[in-house]
Parts: sequence; structure tokens; C-alpha cells
Amino acid sequence: MVYDKESGVFSIQTINLTKRFAKKKHRGVFGFLRRNQSKNKHNDVTVALDKVNIKIRPGELFGLLGPNGSGKTTTIKCLSTILIPDEGTVTVNGFDIQKETAMVRASLGMVVGGERTLYWKLTARDNLMYFASLYKMHRRHAKKRIKELLETMQLSDRADERLEDYSTGMRQKVAIARALLHDPPILLLDEPTLGLDPNFARQIRNQIRELSQKQGKTVLLTTHYMDEADQLCDRVAFINNGKIVAVDTPNRLKAMVKEKELVEVTVYRPPADIEKHIRSLLPDAEVVKLIPGDEDEGNPSRIKIIGGTAEEHVGTIIDALRQKNIRIGSLNVGVPTLEDVFIKLTGAKLTEDGI
Amino acid sequence: MMKSSYQQSVLRSNLFVVWNETVKNIKSLLAYPAILVFWAVFPIFWFIPFILQGQAFVGGLQSASFAQITGTGEYVPFIVIGAVLNSYVNTLLYGMGENIRKESYQGTLDYVLAAPCNKAYVLIGKALSESVSSTIFAASQLTISVVLFGMNLTLGVMLPVFFIVILLMLGLYGMSLILAAFSLMYKQSYDLSQTIGYVFYIFAPVRYPVETLPTWAQIFGKLIPLTYALIIVRSFMLLGTDFSAVYFEVLALLIIDVVLLVAGFYLFSWMEEKTKKSGTISHH
Repeated sequence: MVYDKESGVFSIQTINLTKRFAKKKHRGVFGFLRRNQSKNKHNDVTVALDKVNIKIRPGELFGLLGPNGSGKTTTIKCLSTILIPDEGTVTVNGFDIQKETAMVRASLGMVVGGERTLYWKLTARDNLMYFASLYKMHRRHAKKRIKELLETMQLSDRADERLEDYSTGMRQKVAIARALLHDPPILLLDEPTLGLDPNFARQIRNQIRELSQKQGKTVLLTTHYMDEADQLCDRVAFINNGKIVAVDTPNRLKAMVKEKELVEVTVYRPPADIEKHIRSLLPDAEVVKLIPGDEDEGNPSRIKIIGGTAEEHVGTIIDALRQKNIRIGSLNVGVPTLEDVFIKLTGAKLTEDGI
Repeated sequence: MMKSSYQQSVLRSNLFVVWNETVKNIKSLLAYPAILVFWAVFPIFWFIPFILQGQAFVGGLQSASFAQITGTGEYVPFIVIGAVLNSYVNTLLYGMGENIRKESYQGTLDYVLAAPCNKAYVLIGKALSESVSSTIFAASQLTISVVLFGMNLTLGVMLPVFFIVILLMLGLYGMSLILAAFSLMYKQSYDLSQTIGYVFYIFAPVRYPVETLPTWAQIFGKLIPLTYALIIVRSFMLLGTDFSAVYFEVLALLIIDVVLLVAGFYLFSWMEEKTKKSGTISHH
């Protein structure tokens, strides 16, 4: 299992990583006077990470995919020593996160929480100089490195303006520059393109690709954008309810449903039982999943059918929807994506907006 | 040779952290210039009413009964010294906890805690920046006092006074670390710092001589670093004494400083560990 030929060390390795959080119960104004009635302590705990096993090779761009609350950010916070795991062993760059904390921290650069995690009242240069000091960089070296990074991020012209005057995308670039300041071998990127316009998102993706391919950095990328993971990642792990459900290359994962055909129908105001109704009409379909949309926001609901023969399914589906007086927006027959793999494996959807 | 060079490098990198933390906080404060104006003007409103009240009670700027208790009949400098030293309590106690809470709220705390530097130096930088702003406010109060009330300040007196102010600040750093630790865990420190500020205000001789308090309150007041700082500074500035006259108070202040600093650093580390385990470190 050991990958790195020279050192025999994985960049990131988690063995049975487990993290639990106590559930906070609000018991009213005088709740503190009441005794805790719960007999079973396990009911008062949320298992955020449940025996997570990940092995990431040096130089690999590894995607961690899952819906909101699946455990992506908790994983990153455990790796970055912000949270202490309850169980399991975690090594980063060969260092144990609980025993060699300083070495782990020096090995990592991270982008977690996006643009809010900078000092908006300071300039980009001041922000970077502050964080350079936290990473024990020599002042002269830090100044040189900051200049380089600001040029790479195309922010040199506005380096001495306060971040409050920056756009979201520009602030995200500063956040990435901060992660690269001390030239760490490993990067933890938590939803780095979240909330960015397509142009900035593309620029950030290009930079991530370059960091991995040209600079040989190991990247752990969490995202719920399927296309992003598909385009960038060497391997992908699906995480759901704190458990890793699959790990492989995007192509191999897609191969799990590649031979199957996908029918995707966008519909308006579908009744709750439509999934069950279609499933009863298409017994050979492997997956029939209704993904609720937000029609007020212009996102109709979607029904995905994987398996069987699309040509045969289309007529049945249209008839079924007509019988229920459901308005059809569009109908597409295509190749399943990573999202479809995730749906097949977990029965859950990856995204809120269905991207 | 290698070891020496390494140690120097560690020292320099730690000083770099302290410097950048201080600069960051001061630059952030200067981004809101109205706060500086407020703090420069606010002290006038704080102590002038008490001076006017004193004038109304005793019919002048001197009081014989006040002289019997304190050794000096001039109550105006007495009140000014109380106001100036108490402003350190207000800004330092409130400042550190709020600074941590703000970092937690804006999401920068995670990055500070995930950096490889020793967090003690970050905390020292925070304390130093609060000290700088406190000293600016104190200087503005003293300047107002010199201009309006003709208070006499000489370098010979101000140097030992400044030394005592540093000792006071060390004790307050310890207390503010305790508050910052509570801020990490409970995400609020304002109410606690206000309460402590008021306790200091009542039990330390800020506005009145300590002798006017009941005996039990005087004993309680002896646990507060501000009490000793006020006694020593007033002794220097109003009675013209030197360290030999107040060595017990200086020693007591030093002991309280050490106890509070050790307790503060220990509690902060303990709370940091505890919140990392509970997962509440990133909450705000």
C-alpha cells in the first residue's frame, strides 16, 4: 500500500479517523435547572467522521466529494490540527497530527472558509506578511515570496489596497496565496471555487492544476462541483454521513454506471410519490431518483433514471408524467456523471442546486 | 555555533510574530479613526464630573479631611491618577477577549491556530497592541489634566510610574488571557470583562482612598493588581516617595502578576485543547 518509492510515505494517511460532536439541546430558558433525561449517551452525539480511511500519494490531486454536512470540512480541520480526532491515526507528510503538530502545520497550506478568513481592513500585502510571520518566515524572504505570489495571482497592482475593496474572487486569490506562502508540499483546499463567478473559478482551477502538475504539490480538494472534481482530480473519494463510500479515479467510478444509460427529466411541481410511481413502471432501472429543485430560483426538480434501455424508458416516463399532469421542462439522454455514481452508491444527492 | 544560530533564528521569528501581531491590530484599529477620537475625548467626560462634584462638596481644590486620610489635600490629581490607571483596566480586559472573539467570528482564528508558530507570541502581540492603545488613551488623559488642571509631571516621577504601569499591565494581561480563554469556549467575554471592570472599580481605590472601604472590602481589594498600582503611583506622584516606601506593594504586585500570567497561559492552552476536542473552536 505504501506508494512513495523513495520515502515509502503517503502525503496524507488516515486510519479509522473518527470525530464525534456533542449535540446541543436547547431546553428553554430554565433548561439548566432540569436534569438531562437522556438515558443513552450515544443519542446525544453526532458522528461527523466514522472510521475514515484515506491514503493520498505525493503529488496527487485528490478530491473529497460529498453533500453539505457529509464530513468534508471536518476531515480538513482534523488534518490541519484545528480539531483533535476522537479515534484513529492520521499522518501528514509522515508526521503524526497529534504528536508532531508543529511539523504537520509547517507541511500544510490551507484554504478553508473562503474569503472571510482574511483581515479585510488590511491590504493584501499586510495580510500575507502577517501570515508569513506565523509560518516563521524570515522577513526578507517573506517580502520576496509575497511579491512573487501577488504577481502570480495578478494582484500586484492592487497589493496595497485594503481587502474590503476587493471582489470575492480577488480575496479568494489572496487566500490561495496565503496557503502557498511557505511553499508547503501539501495543500488542503476546501471548496476553493465556491461562490466565484465562472471566470474566477476557471482561473482558480487552472492554478490548482498547475500546483499539482508543475509544482508537484499534493492537493486534497473538497468540492461538491462534480465537473470540477472530474476535470481536476487524479482520484476521488465519496463521503456521505461521515463515511467513505468509494475511492477511485473519476473514470473508474464513472465506469460503474458507464454501460448504463441515463435519462434526466426536469419537471415542475412533482408529487412526492412520483419516484415510487416511476420505479414501479421501470423495474429494470437501477436508480430512480427525484432531486427536488427550487422553482422560485429557476431550478426545476430533476428525475434521474439510470439503467435499462433509455429508448424504452423515455416513452414510459413521459406517459407516467402526463398521467400525473406534471409539466415537463426538458428530457435528456446521456452518459452518467460522478453525481450519478454518488446517487447510485448512496441514494443521496450531492448538491443542493444540482450542479 | 549551529545551536546559537538556530536559537537566534527562533528568537527573531518569535519577535517577528509579536511585531506583526501588534502592527496588524494597530492598523485594524486605525481603520476606524472615529474610535481614536472617541477615546481621546471620552476621558474628559469620565473624570471632570467627579472633580466638579468634589469642588461642590469641599468648596475648593483642597480638602483637609482628604489630607488626613491620604497625606495630600489635592484631590484632583488623586482622581486623575485613578482615571488614567483604570483606563488600562477597561481597554486591556475588554480588548483581548474581544480580539479573540472577533478572530473567531471572522474565521481568522482557525488560521492562527493552525500555524506552526508558538501561540504565546501571538497572545503577547495582542496584549502589546492593546497596551499601545491603552497608553495612547492614558497619555491623552494626562495631557488634558496638565492643560486643564495644571497637573505637574516630571520625567523623574514618570519613569518609575511607567515601570509600575508595566507591572499593572502584566497582571492585566494575565486576567485578559483568562477572559480570552473563556471567549474561546463560550464565545463571549464582554459581560465578564465588564463585571470584572466594575468589581475593580469598587474594590480598588480608583475614586476614593482605600481606607474609606469597610475592612472586608479592603482585604478583597488587596487581591486586585490595580489596588497596588494606584497606591504606588499615588505615593510617587502625590507624596514624592520612592520605591523604598512601597516595596511591599511592589512585591505584592509582582506576585499577583506571576500568578495571573501563569494561570492565564495555562487556562488558555487548556481551553484551546478542550475546544479542539469538542469542535467548538470554530464556532462563534
